[in-house]
Amino acid sequence: MQRIFQIDGEETECWLGHDGSRFVLNTPDGSVACELNPTALPGGYTLRAKGVVRELRLAVGPDATFVHMNGRTHEIRRIDPDERLAGRDKGASDDRLVAPMPGVVVSVAVKPGDTVAEGQPLLVIESMKLETTLTAPRDGVVAEMPFAEGDSFRLKDILAQLAPEEE
Amino acid sequence: MRRIESLIDTNAADYKANYAAMSERLKEFHARQQAARFERPQRDIDRLARQNKLGVRERLKLLLDPGTPFLEFSTLAACREYDGTVPGAAVVTGIGIVQGREVAIHANDASVKGGAWYPHTVKKVVRLLDVALENRLPVVHICDSAGGFLPLQHGVFPDRYLGGRVFRNQVKLSQANIPQIAVVGGHCTAGGAYVPTLSDYNIIIEGTGAIFLGGPPLVKAATGEEVGVQELGGAVMHTSVSGTGDYRAATEQHAFSLAREIVSQWKRTPKTIIETAAFEEPYYDPKELYGIIPKDRKTQFDMREVLARIVDGSRFHEYQPDYGTTMVCGFAHIWGYKVGILANNGVLFNDSSLKAAHFMQLCNQNRTPLVFFQNITGYMVGREYEERGIAKDGAKMLMAQGGSVVPKFTVIANASYGAGNYGMCGRAWDARTLFMWPQAEIGVMGADQAANTMADVKIRQLQREGKELTEEEIAAIREPVLEKYKRDVEAYTSTSELWDDGILDPADTRNALGMSISASLNAPIEEPHYGIFRL
Amino acid sequence: MTISKLLVANRGEIAARVLRTAKARGLATAVLRHESEQEGPAHLIADEIVTIEGPTPVAAYLDIPQIVEAAKKIGADAVHPGYGFLSENAAFVAALEKAGVTFVGPTSEVIALMGDKVRARGFVEERGFPVAPSAIEDDDPASFVERARTVGYPLLIKPSAGGGGKGMRIVREDSTLETEIETARREGIRYFGDGRLFVERYIERPRHIEVQVMGDGQGNVVHFWERECSIQRRFQKIIEETPSPALTPEQRDEICETAAGIARAVKYRGAGTVEFIYAQDGAFYFLEMNTRLQVEHPVTELVTGFDLVAEQLRIAAGEGLSATQANIPQTGHSIELRICAEDATADFRPSIGDILLLDEPSGPGVRVDSGILDGGKVTTDFDPMLSKLIVHGRDRVEAIARARQAVQNYVVLGVTTNTGYLDAILAHPDFAAGNVSTGFLAEQSETLTAPAEDISELLMAAAALSDERLVGDVMQIPEMYRKMGGWRN
Repeated sequence: MQRIFQIDGEETECWLGHDGSRFVLNTPDGSVACELNPTALPGGYTLRAKGVVRELRLAVGPDATFVHMNGRTHEIRRIDPDERLAGRDKGASDDRLVAPMPGVVVSVAVKPGDTVAEGQPLLVIESMKLETTLTAPRDGVVAEMPFAEGDSFRLKDILAQLAPEEE
Repeated sequence: MRRIESLIDTNAADYKANYAAMSERLKEFHARQQAARFERPQRDIDRLARQNKLGVRERLKLLLDPGTPFLEFSTLAACREYDGTVPGAAVVTGIGIVQGREVAIHANDASVKGGAWYPHTVKKVVRLLDVALENRLPVVHICDSAGGFLPLQHGVFPDRYLGGRVFRNQVKLSQANIPQIAVVGGHCTAGGAYVPTLSDYNIIIEGTGAIFLGGPPLVKAATGEEVGVQELGGAVMHTSVSGTGDYRAATEQHAFSLAREIVSQWKRTPKTIIETAAFEEPYYDPKELYGIIPKDRKTQFDMREVLARIVDGSRFHEYQPDYGTTMVCGFAHIWGYKVGILANNGVLFNDSSLKAAHFMQLCNQNRTPLVFFQNITGYMVGREYEERGIAKDGAKMLMAQGGSVVPKFTVIANASYGAGNYGMCGRAWDARTLFMWPQAEIGVMGADQAANTMADVKIRQLQREGKELTEEEIAAIREPVLEKYKRDVEAYTSTSELWDDGILDPADTRNALGMSISASLNAPIEEPHYGIFRL
Repeated sequence: MTISKLLVANRGEIAARVLRTAKARGLATAVLRHESEQEGPAHLIADEIVTIEGPTPVAAYLDIPQIVEAAKKIGADAVHPGYGFLSENAAFVAALEKAGVTFVGPTSEVIALMGDKVRARGFVEERGFPVAPSAIEDDDPASFVERARTVGYPLLIKPSAGGGGKGMRIVREDSTLETEIETARREGIRYFGDGRLFVERYIERPRHIEVQVMGDGQGNVVHFWERECSIQRRFQKIIEETPSPALTPEQRDEICETAAGIARAVKYRGAGTVEFIYAQDGAFYFLEMNTRLQVEHPVTELVTGFDLVAEQLRIAAGEGLSATQANIPQTGHSIELRICAEDATADFRPSIGDILLLDEPSGPGVRVDSGILDGGKVTTDFDPMLSKLIVHGRDRVEAIARARQAVQNYVVLGVTTNTGYLDAILAHPDFAAGNVSTGFLAEQSETLTAPAEDISELLMAAAALSDERLVGDVMQIPEMYRKMGGWRN
């Protein structure tokens, strides 16, 4: 029900409601009853809102809606606040790589103090006859690499530790 | 259906006096609700801010669909307990709308005693989970509790309907395929740890949420192990090591966004279909109820005038309008849902009891939910009525009411005394929701009668001991009893003790019933069946 | 030297425009298409499409051997280069000549001459045509101050090694010339470690006026009047018109005859454009000659009634000029707007995207030379110009009015375009008064991109109500709850 609309770089948090007979767009500045009805033209609509009636042409892209109204074209970027929040999963990433099963370290690619990028290989382990490359869970600096090549490790041993992120 | 012809004169002096009296009561009521919801000592507000936690009302706002109602239960629970220091019993419960569907919500209010469980907290949570079970409503738990309030642990822990019942109900919900999700936005310690773990889904907010059977101090005392909150039961540990937690949220916003997404994915079971009609607002203004409800409880009023300000279009199809006239029965629509209404227009006689019993069977036959509007001082007493079998006819009414399979809803509109409370679906009779109006009273009998009865017992006992009492002495015995009794029958006592689901502004009754009925249709309606009617 | 099959070695709107005339003249036609390129209007017109390859699409369009080979392979006996790409590439013309394929345009020698700005300027100056006076210190340091003085005032002193405006000094009076030269020299040394200078006439608020010429290669040249192209952003034209509102009839004849004279001097063949800098005092100076069809040629076509591509093809086929100077009219007024995929509010940054909805204007006096199709994709592979909107009116006022109406009705949704910006220019009082220079857009940048009335709520309402997922989410809420709204008990 919520959207963030961005027009000319300015963001507005809105939610859309419907009271059974009409839609109401709620913005931080107030509520606007509105209605959009198609016309015969491709992408053509009549918009009623704020006491005015406007003929417009409209196209909905994946991230933005384009509106041609009063001889001007406008781009309204649409952001689903839930999707924006979901992007924060990464911020919640762990600092540690924990052994998913017991095994042996095949090779170590980084040493403490190295700066690593998310997804960069840190070490290769062998467990259950499978070689697995473990990668950095986020951008950061390597704090500890407790195991050397050839070392064996147990389940849940910490195989790599990144330095805590600075707030 | 025909519209009720109101005879109310809104310019009449008594109407205006009633209106003024009710407005005064409602001012106080709304102020008390506002205080119970929002007024907290500054140190508690500061503590939440320091812990980087949102308040429970803000959490609800993130959870619920914007622009949708929230039917809150028992806002004033515990208002007459613990010297009023545990507003709302430290928990918010109710029915709200998440992704277009009705969910039961159980949310700890950490701004009250750190969200600790008091006896009334447990009662309120168990009641909410009973509502979820009866109506098959998915549950969203928002967990943030310091745990059981140890000084009162006897009132929290051991009995059948105490703490264990919360978890028992969670198990029963799960067994009945009713989904639950827990958002852990604070600590879930000891028993509290089972709320998220018995939920089908749970989300832990990183940094603030934690789940453990014993917190760090208890662990240190028990085993000497020193361990921090995050290592012991934080979001990272539970979502990556123990598997106790399902989702880890970076922020409160993220947590509730995830929760909404999960709720939206739950299978939608078609609701039970009952007779419906297009919505129609009441023809008469619901606010006129303020002038209709007499300021003196003993003044009789016509319940049809009340119904005219609650039901769709003020339309009412009355059943047996000329028989058993102290019991008004008939059909109406509330928010489009067809309901059978039973409303008291006086004491229950034999005929009114029989009429009610018959009408309830009609409604069960037709899968029509029942709505009770109580203003009842009881069943008629006296030789003539006993001879006519008033107890037998009352039993028929109870059998029909208690045996009803359709959802029932009760509004205690004014008086709720004695067995009349039973016949009219009082708390013991499984109304899906039961609300009281602020001036209403509930008790085994009226305050004066009860005070007189109790005082008489005392006076006769003293007289047997040979003491002659002066008028003043009698009054000195009678007055305190009367005062205490008057307080005990008040709506605030009832709502404090969770004998109801909350006090309602009469003008809110229509919406509260609409939501209650709609929620009840998540559960199926059985085939009608009854016990033995004493004929 | 007849032509029966024409390969258009170009793309976009100009390819479509050339193909239309070629087809109308009964030629077999072919056009290029890079493997990664979206289908455009030209591909719907051409009889044949030749796929070309290259590391980038632009590289493919510049690949001389591949394109010559393509022409031979499909049996094309002529190649029309459009504008840009290989249109002024002497090596391309030489390669085609060698392969026996006719190039629709001038000879490689003329292209080479006019392509070298210094040689071209020298050639023109030697024959007595006006060039902006200048003096280069290096030519003869001893006489530099003397020669600078003859350039005339105001003049501009520039460090030879300079750039970015550093060390440039405007001199308006002879009395300060020598001290300014010394100051400029010191600054040049300080900024660039090089004190050598040159001076040129400083033309304040210049206008860009150019003349369309057409020659038969035998020395017969006619002109098709002038075009004014002063409305430029980042030195690129975006609005062109004819006639120029700046010229008197006498000046017009003079500038047009000058252009024709320059073309005659090289026995020009085909269509060409002689560009001039026009000073506010009425003086004009040769700038350069473009040896191809110009982007803005349609305004000339609308006021003269001639199809310039048809003339090009006639000449290439050896049929000579169809017109004499006397029967080339200049009727009414025409304006061209270049519709570009760019953000005028963000320093004209090119924009990309899918064309979700295209509805181009039409009507009396409205012509659209478009290079895009509905559903197409705008990428950064090519120039951001999508199409041209050309209008014709009985006079300039009518032309402006038609241009405004047409550009306001130009619907391109899915990619940011400059239609609103173009309309703002047309609406500017200075433009209406013809009071412009090549610096106009830079001077007026703030007024031209100022936001109009705040209609953001209307736009958000439209965006919300057309967002099917959003509306779906809202409408899944049971009607009772929508009606109750945010009720609380």
